[in-house]
Order: sequence, then structure tokens, then C-alpha cells
Amino acid sequence: MPYDASLNFVFWSPTKIVFGEKTALDVAMEMETLKCKKGLIVTDKDLAKNTDIPEKIRKALGNLCVGIFSDVEADSGIHIVNQGGKLGKELGADCIVSVGGGSAIDTAKGIAILLKEGGKLQDYAGFQVLTRPQTPHIVIPTTAGTGSEVTYVAVIKDHLEGRKLIFGDYNILPNVAILDPKMTEGLPPGLTAATGMDAICHAIEAMHSLQREPIADGMAFHAIKLIKEFLPRAVGNGKDMTARGQMLIAANMAGAAFSNAQLGIVHALAHSVGARFKVHHGLANSILLPACLRFNADACGDVYLDVLSALGVNTESIGSDEAGDVAANNLIEFTKKLGLPQRLRDVGVPEEGLKECSELALSDGAIVYNPKFISDSEEVLKVYRQAW
Amino acid sequence: MALTFPSVEWMEEYKKQINSSEGYKKAGATWTAGVVALVISAKPEIGINEDFGMWLDLHQGVCREAKKVGLEEAQKAPFCIIGDYTRWKQVIKKELEPVKGMMQGKLKLKGDLPTIVRYVKASQELVECTTRIETKFLDE
Repeated sequence: MPYDASLNFVFWSPTKIVFGEKTALDVAMEMETLKCKKGLIVTDKDLAKNTDIPEKIRKALGNLCVGIFSDVEADSGIHIVNQGGKLGKELGADCIVSVGGGSAIDTAKGIAILLKEGGKLQDYAGFQVLTRPQTPHIVIPTTAGTGSEVTYVAVIKDHLEGRKLIFGDYNILPNVAILDPKMTEGLPPGLTAATGMDAICHAIEAMHSLQREPIADGMAFHAIKLIKEFLPRAVGNGKDMTARGQMLIAANMAGAAFSNAQLGIVHALAHSVGARFKVHHGLANSILLPACLRFNADACGDVYLDVLSALGVNTESIGSDEAGDVAANNLIEFTKKLGLPQRLRDVGVPEEGLKECSELALSDGAIVYNPKFISDSEEVLKVYRQAW
Repeated sequence: MALTFPSVEWMEEYKKQINSSEGYKKAGATWTAGVVALVISAKPEIGINEDFGMWLDLHQGVCREAKKVGLEEAQKAPFCIIGDYTRWKQVIKKELEPVKGMMQGKLKLKGDLPTIVRYVKASQELVECTTRIETKFLDE
């Protein structure tokens, strides 16, 4: 591992993790431990409409539940957070229980701010602006990918202004994450694969980030091992609770890793095609990852040797100068077996849109930590073209 | 003569250094996003009795105005970066890159991170300008 005497980092991951089948049904105990009495469930429309998960959580909370806010959509916006905040205030909520994927969790982080601080959400955009712990927040993820249950960032769109607002604050880290494999049982194979690839990207990016450090590396390394072994099983048989559980753990570990070590070019590029062409975040990451590894290869080949080890590849005969290419090829084979699309053109990104995405990517916070300094959109465009 | 950090004299010299920096002129040439306020939090034990804000009116590669403001005024700027004296000292000594410092929670940013990130090279040039000032640190 490439650490030297200049190693200097902060690792902060205070979220309590509860793992196990049917542990979501213990949510009331977790709320009581937080000394809360009025929980507001925050979940997304699809989950509320097509599954009984939010209702199960409501029942599990019993008298501790004051209501369900189920208007969260993909790419959550300020207007949705405001609606949720208004409902939470009316109901006197003192705890948020988010049930869903990244969008529901990020929306809940925003609502937690509004319930504590009041005012307009926009006023708190930035980094480390908040000065006190926010409304207690319990997360029950229904996907294994975002790791948002252990990250200190929420991304919420200002649809009127057409921009993303970023809230990065240790005070919005959720208090509890309940990782219950049963909650991900119904996730279809395609989404299971795409969200799982989001998690592996978190892990790999945490390892090649300029802010990489030993604790995050350890978590990322193990996350990659778990994903390599269990993602194909979870995709092949959604009812394989062992695989579902290990994927939740992997996504969680990768989340804690990147929340501390940060990310890099893969996410910067994926965020931009997501924002511009609504490509699913996990899919965008999955498609862009190989091209990005080749781009970074000469800057962090030794890191990619470790990534290969985590992927189960014998690295004895692989030089650090070729590790990026070998890792890229290995991951392409992996995603092909998962049945995922391989090119940006396959997911609705037009070639003429790449230039605009290249400019956008330069404004993404993730790019700051890429092992290679990037300030020229032409460099980004080349990577996009490789993945197109 | 070494100038004390933070002080009005140091800030005026900083403005001069920014305006004579070719690197910043180029990297910040398209910056029209407004004022950047830097706030050094109060630390009475070394003589900083109140928050010291530097209001830097940056525009298209030049610093049009630099003035001392309080915390409340500084927070009215489109971008307000707040940190302890120790953190700012690390920035000046190039031990802490400011954009990374914000993301690690070592500096607080009130404002739009993507805009700051887009100008990461300009922020590096601004740090470079501080290194050209002969600085006297209050705790040394």
C-alpha cells in the first residue's frame, strides 16, 4: 500500500450498524434507544406503491410512528424535502426512519436538517455548515449499493435552478443503519447488479483516491472481495439471503470507506451523465469504471494490484504498470456475466452529449481526489469516448 | 518585514500578491461568481479576540477589494470559508489543500461546492500567493 510519512487522515464513521434477517422489525427498539417517540417514515413512491415494506416498518414501529412520507422520487429535490419537512413539523416528528435507496435516504437527511434548524434547506448547502447534531435518523436500506446510510453527504436537486445542492456535514450522518437482507429480497436482478456495481465503484475509488488511508482501504478491500463473490449470487437468485446480506455489508463497508477516503473520476463522470441523460447511477459507474481505471493506470498501478487481489486474481506475474488494464478487463468480464450494458451508447447517451458532460464533470467534488489531477475537459472527453 | 497573520496589513499585502500573480490571473480569468470571504475563527489565547473575516472581491482574475469584516458580514458573501487559525496556518504553509480541507471537515464552506471545485486551480494559485508573503504567525 502506498502510504508514506505524510499519511494524515480523519476517519469518522459513528453510525451504529445492526445486521441480520428481520432486524428491520426491531426498529422500535432502536428508536427507543435514541429516546425518540415520534418517528416519521420517509420512503419512495415506488416502494410504497409496489411493496409492503413501508407498511411493515410502520407496523413494527407501532405507536412510535406518526406518519409516512412517501413522495420521494429518483433525483430528489428541494421541493420534496420541504414537503417532508412540513409534514414532519405538523406531526411533531422527533426521529426520521428512512426506508429505501439513496434518494430516500438523502431526502431524509434534508428533512432531518429542516426539522432541527428550520428555515430554507438552501441555507445549509456547503460543507460542515451545521453546528449541532440534527434530528435522529435511522436508515433501513432496500438496495445494496449507495452506502448512503453511513455517509455524511446528501445530494438534493434544486429543480427550479437546475442544479444540485450538496450538503456535506458530519452532523447529518445517520445514527443507526439497519441492514436487513429481507429488505432487499424483492430488488430485481438488473437493479441488484447496477446497485452492486455502484458499491464496487465506491470501494475501488476509495482505494485509488488521493485521500486513501489504511482504515478505509481495509474496508474497501473486503467490500470488493464480498461483491466479487456474492453479487453474482444475489443477481442469480434474489432469495439467496446469504448473498443479499453480504451485499448489504459490502455496500455499507464501501460507503464508510468512500465517505472518509472520498472518490474520484468514475463518480465525477457518472454524476454528469446521470444529471444530463438520467443514466442510472450504478449503471453509469459500471460502464465508466474500466475506462477510468485505464486512465489512472500510470498513477496508481500498485493500488490496482491490490484491487486485483481483492478480485481474487493472482497478481504474481502482473506488473504495476499493467494492473489498471488487467483490472479493467477483469471488471468488464464481471459485468458481462451480470448482464449489464457495456457502453454509454447502450444506455441512451448520445455521442454529441459527451462534450457537455466533460465540462460538467470538472465541477464535481469527486474529481478533486482523483489520483491524476484533471483540469482539462478534453482529458475527460477522451475517457467518455472510450466508454461510449 | 514580516506581517502578522491575520491582520489588515497582511490582507492588503495578500491583495497585492493576488493582483501580481500571473498564475491566478489565468486560472481565475473566468471567475464571476462573486466575493469569497475567508474567516479565521477567534482564538483569544494567541491574540485573535474576535473572528477575523477577509472579504475578497475576486472577479475575472483580479482582487478588486480586500477588507476586514466580521463573521456575520462574511457569511453574506456567496462563498464563505471558515476555519480555525491552525487550519489556515496549515493552508498558508501548503500543508492543507483548501478544497480538500473543506471536504474533510477541516474548513467549513458556506456556498456552492461545484463552483469552487471548477476553480480548484485558481484556489491553488490563491494559496501560492499567501506563500509569497513574509508571514509572522501569532503562535510562533
